[in-house]
Order: sequence, then C-alpha cells, then structure tokens
Amino acid sequence: MTATANVTMPAGATPPASPRDTRVTKRRRGRFGDRLLPYLLLLPALAAILVLLAWPLVQVLAISFRKLDIGQLVSGKMVWIGFDNYTNTLSDPEFWTITVRTLVFTAAIVAATILGGLLLAVLMRHLGPVVRIMVQVTLVLAWATPVIATTTVFQWIFDQQYGILNKTLDRLGFHGFIGFSWFSSGPSTLTVIGLLIVWQAVPFVTFSLYAGIIGVPREQYEAAGIDGASAWQTFRAVTWPAIRPITTMVTFLSVLWDFNAFAQIWAIREGGPDGGSTTLAVVLYLKGIAGNHFGAAGAIATLMLIVLALITGRYIQLLVRTPEGDLK
Amino acid sequence: MKRWLKLAAGAAALTLATAGCAGSGGSDTAASSSGNAPLSGTVTVWLMTGSAPETLTGALNKEFEAAHPGVKVKYEVQQWDGIQQKLTTALASGAPPDVIEIGNTQTAAFAAQEGVLTDLTADKDSFNGAQWLKGLADSGSYDGKVYGVPFYAANREVIYRKDMFEQAGITKTPTSNDEWIDAIGKLKTKFGSDPDFQALYMPGQNWYALLSFIWDNGGDIAKADGKNYKASLDTPEAKAGLEFYKKLVDTSGTKAPKDADEAKPQQATVYGAGKVAMMIGLPWELATAAKTDASLTAKTGAFAIPSKTAGQSAPVFLGGSNLAIPANSKNVAAAKEYIKLLSSPKYQSQLAAAGVVPGTSTDLTGLDKDPLGSVMAKASANGKAVPASPKWGDVESGQNPVKDMLTAYLTGKKTLDQATADANAALNKLIGG
Repeated sequence: MTATANVTMPAGATPPASPRDTRVTKRRRGRFGDRLLPYLLLLPALAAILVLLAWPLVQVLAISFRKLDIGQLVSGKMVWIGFDNYTNTLSDPEFWTITVRTLVFTAAIVAATILGGLLLAVLMRHLGPVVRIMVQVTLVLAWATPVIATTTVFQWIFDQQYGILNKTLDRLGFHGFIGFSWFSSGPSTLTVIGLLIVWQAVPFVTFSLYAGIIGVPREQYEAAGIDGASAWQTFRAVTWPAIRPITTMVTFLSVLWDFNAFAQIWAIREGGPDGGSTTLAVVLYLKGIAGNHFGAAGAIATLMLIVLALITGRYIQLLVRTPEGDLK
Repeated sequence: MKRWLKLAAGAAALTLATAGCAGSGGSDTAASSSGNAPLSGTVTVWLMTGSAPETLTGALNKEFEAAHPGVKVKYEVQQWDGIQQKLTTALASGAPPDVIEIGNTQTAAFAAQEGVLTDLTADKDSFNGAQWLKGLADSGSYDGKVYGVPFYAANREVIYRKDMFEQAGITKTPTSNDEWIDAIGKLKTKFGSDPDFQALYMPGQNWYALLSFIWDNGGDIAKADGKNYKASLDTPEAKAGLEFYKKLVDTSGTKAPKDADEAKPQQATVYGAGKVAMMIGLPWELATAAKTDASLTAKTGAFAIPSKTAGQSAPVFLGGSNLAIPANSKNVAAAKEYIKLLSSPKYQSQLAAAGVVPGTSTDLTGLDKDPLGSVMAKASANGKAVPASPKWGDVESGQNPVKDMLTAYLTGKKTLDQATADANAALNKLIGG
C-alpha cells in the first residue's frame, strides 16, 4: 500500500529541476543588464503590491494608535494616543467572547466546507458523465449566485411565518415548527449563517479537489482494485496523497475567507439577536463605519490580522520553506 | 482584493483630510464678514432623494440664482444608502458641499465635533427661528449652539381601515389607550374567524412606536446629564411603555415577526393585502399599500397614536432632516442665503403641500387636504427627538439595544426587568459617559 502511495509524489517534482538550474546559471554569467532584467520585470508587480497592500497596512497600523473620529478626520488633527485603542479593546470582556465565537464559528464552517467539498469531489469521480455534468452545473450556479441574493433566499427559506422550511417541517409532522423562529438565539442564527456560507463555499472546494482527483492516473485505482483494497483504503492510499496539498491550500484559503465573513452575517440579522451572532468582522464594521471611530476600528483590524497570522502561520511557513514541495 | 481597495481608498481619503485641513480656519470668518458684498462663486447643495419635490427645488434654485446673479447653484440629489460615509468623506475633503441635509438623528454626531459644521446660532432669526419645529430644533443644536436648521419632519400615526371600523361598530376613532384596546377587541370579534386577519399589525421591533409609549408614560430612553447621557430604560415609566407595547401585541394577536422591524417585511405591503385593520406608520406608506390594492386609498383613515390620558395623543418620534453648512465650506455666505430662502414661508408651505411637516414654519395648512397628513401635522406639535447624543449614530446604524430589548421581552426570552436592565447597560455602553 505505502509503495503505491509514494509513486505519486516525486513524479513531477525532481526531473525538470536540473535543466532549469543550468539555464539560470548561464544567464547569471551574462552581462549586467541581463542580470538586472528579472528585477526590472518584477518592479511593476512590486510597486502594485506596495501601493495596494503595504501602504494601506502601514496606514491601518498608524491609525490604530490615533484617536480618529469625524472631528479629527475633518480638521486633520493628528491625535496620538499610544496603545489606548488596544487597551480599550482588549479590556472589554465582550471582545474576548466575540473572538472565541469567531474562532469557533470559523473552525466549524471551514470543517464543514472541506468535508462537504471532499465528499462531493469523491462522489463526482464515481458518477457517470451526464449526472456529473448536472452536479457540476448545479455547483457552478450555487457558486455564481451573488452573496446578497443567496442571503435573501436563505432569509425567505428560514422565515418565521412564510418560510418554506417551517411549512415543510410542519407537513412532515413536526408541528412544533409552525411559527418557529430560527433567529431567536445567537447559536441558531449562526448555524443558519454557517449553512449559507458553507453552501456558497463548497463549490470552489469541490472543483479544486476534483481537479486533484482526476490528476491521479487511472492505473493506480486499478492497481488498488487488484490488490483488493476497500473503498476507504483506496481513498487513504491513492486519492488522499494526491489531493493532500490542495486540501491544505483550500483549508487555509477557507480560514481566511470565513474568518473575515461579513456580508452574510450582517445581512441576516446585523449580528443579532442581542449581539448573539456578532463576529470580529461585525465589530469592525460597528466601530469603524457605523460609529465613525476609525482609530478603534484600526486597532481591531490589526488584532484580527494578528489572529489570522497566528492561525495561518503554518501555511505561511509551508509557503516560505517549501514552495515546490508540500503545496505544489 | 476588494477589501484592500477599500482600505486604499480610505487611506487616500485620510491623506486628503490631512492635506485639506490648512484652508479651513480662515474661510468662514472671511465669508461671514463680507456681509453685504455681492455673493459670488458656486454654492453646492446636497439634498436627499425624496426630501423636496423637484418643482420646489427647481423654483428655489431659479429664484436664488436670479436674486444673486453672481452665484451658481450646483444642486445634487443624494441617496440615503451609505450617506453617512459619503458625508464623512465629503466633509473631510478640502472642498465639501456648501449646504447639506443631515438626518436629524445623525446631526449630533457631526455637530458635537468641533470644526465640522458651521455654528449658525447668530443666524437663527434670519432662518425664521421663531417658528422652528421644536423636536427638530433640539436635534440640530448641541451644547447650546445651533448647527442644524430644521428642514422637514414626519411622524407616525395609526393608519386604519375605515370600512372595517364601521363594520365592527366602532363609531369614533380611539382617543385613549383603553379605547384603542377596546377597538382591537371589537375588530377581533367581527373578523376574528378569518385566520389571516390582524386587528393591528405590530412587528416586535417598531421602536419608534415604543418611544411614543415610553414618552407617554413620562419616561425617556436616556436622560441628559450635562453634555453626557445616561440610559433610563430601566425606569418604571419606560417599563410601563414596554408593557403597553406587549399588551398591544398580545391583544391584537398580530402575526408580525417579533424579531424584525416594520420594514422587514414592509408593513405597508402586508396592509395592502387587505387583512390588516391598523398599522402604526407614516402617511405615505398608504401609497405603497395602494400599489397592491388601489381601493385602499378611499378606505383608509388615520388617527393620532392615543395616549393613556383620555382625549390626548401620545408624543411622537419626529423623523426628519436638518440643513447644515460644513465648516470647510468655501462659500458660507451664499450657503446661508440659500438656507434663508428655503426656510421662507413660500417654500415651507410647498414642503407641507408635498406631505411633510415643514421645519421652519408653523403654517401646516398645506397638509390639510390630505386626511392622513392633517392627522400627522396635528400630532407633530407633540413631537420629540431621540437623545441629541453625538454617539447616537452608534445606536442607530449599529445594533440597536432597544430593538433587542423588545424582541427579548416579547418572545419571553427575558423578563421585563432583565430585558430593560440589559438594554440599559448596552445603551449606556454606546452613548453613556
């Protein structure tokens, strides 16, 4: 079993490496202009990154150490207040509740997204072409629907009075669901929002993973079949090694996206009821846009960035260390 | 990517803000001292969509340009959606509009910050100051100074089906809370066999209606303490208001969601379906309902929100707008002339004719021809505003604790004491101190 597994990995990685190396060394021996050229070509991209990413980042950091409300914004006065924005935010017990809630919520929907995507991707391999195309079209449609449109549809589905879900459950014999409010508590609201986000996120994950699966040579599955491997063993030994790098990548991407999810949460209940579905992204909006406290919002944005950096640290580490290994 | 673009735009706005600050100090003293000198330049006016009819603004701009040949009016209609951010960005720029319309609940947020809006205290009289609508005037002033000139207001009333009242044997519209509850009972007796019938459509989060009940009981949501505000939702008066709200919801057996306000779903659409006898709303909501059923226009009347004291009507929340001049405006003198003309009786009566309560004129005859409008006009005298706290924006554009309180209490998730105590603490966190 293990022998079959190892066959997949080295196939693409090592052989092409050597000719490329010699080409690079040849060019290094060339004229000065030749050596400068790659850097010149990098320059536009670098400038774009500096202007669009680095500069705003520096600005946010700077703002987070200032008191910046409408007054300061209009008058242009610089009021530096040191770490006040951070101490105010961190000393608020609600902030910690919300941080924990955000982390749990993110973990839950990322897990659900990856699991759902994985199951669908494996399923698609076993489907006949007609059904598979139907599934794929459905997925693309779910993916292509604008966030707010989907959110509105979900609101209708879960509506207390007229929602199709309550009516269906009632028909099925669960009469307790007549007039049941799905948005009466934070956890229940977050569950609906989670379903909504997962529903929209699964197609991307499915297609990415399916792309990995169809990259596996057919012979490997045949070999596994001849060896008498069960479905689970085939998955463990053949499919999983092939899609592991992609799974890692989509997991981290999902973490980034779901941690910052805002539109769906705000559109469903504006973080309610009673603040029960408020996540860090919602707090950021409330402080910055609704309350015009840009300094405090800057501090929260920076803290969110730190939390994200911590949980995606492993991914970044993999990216930096082994650009062509694990994450190919 | 989008997020970064937004941040970049924000950064750009901030850079503009810091760059634009230098010019702001001198300009308005220079402009106001120029007194009788002929005005010149451009005056940029931002009014909100739906505020004033085009015929009014067209005539106004024409008359203004004719009276001040040197000045050109640049009139722009703005959308409510995202206006606060747009105003913030515009005010922070070096060249903001010269006359702006600000929602009355948002005015304090701008007025409280020094150097954002022009102090208009000295000009009050030239804007017909004696006749200002009190509720709006309160929202436009901060710390004893005037920053916003009342523009127009509207307030809620009980919109009802005259035909249903007649069939249920209700001869005169309720003028006290008891009569109101009575009327609900009679309507239910008459139409209750229809499972879709609602005597009163009352969503759980119509906090504007709650304000009326709290004020009617002598309470308030927050009390001023110098410049600061302290939430007072846990007072017996406020609790009495909440209890009456619950009584209305329970007696009427409304099917409206308890965790949404009157806009989700639009209550006028529900009323338009013809199974609702009453709703608490604004006069022009009838037009929305009439889109579903045109015959409703003739069948609908209105009465003021009743008070617990027989014969009176409850105080009402005045929603509306103020006019203000940004401190960075390059043409303060012309802007003042513009507001002066708009506050003149001629244009104020046109506002009334358009169906709103004018801000700087007590002449409401324009509203009389509309039965719903005349009821609103009468009740507006007893109009009040939300606390003029600069932090009120945090409440309204954020998570409103008053709405959460209503839902928690009405659904029975919290007791009255618990709900009010929690909401009080949450409100204090937002606007207190």
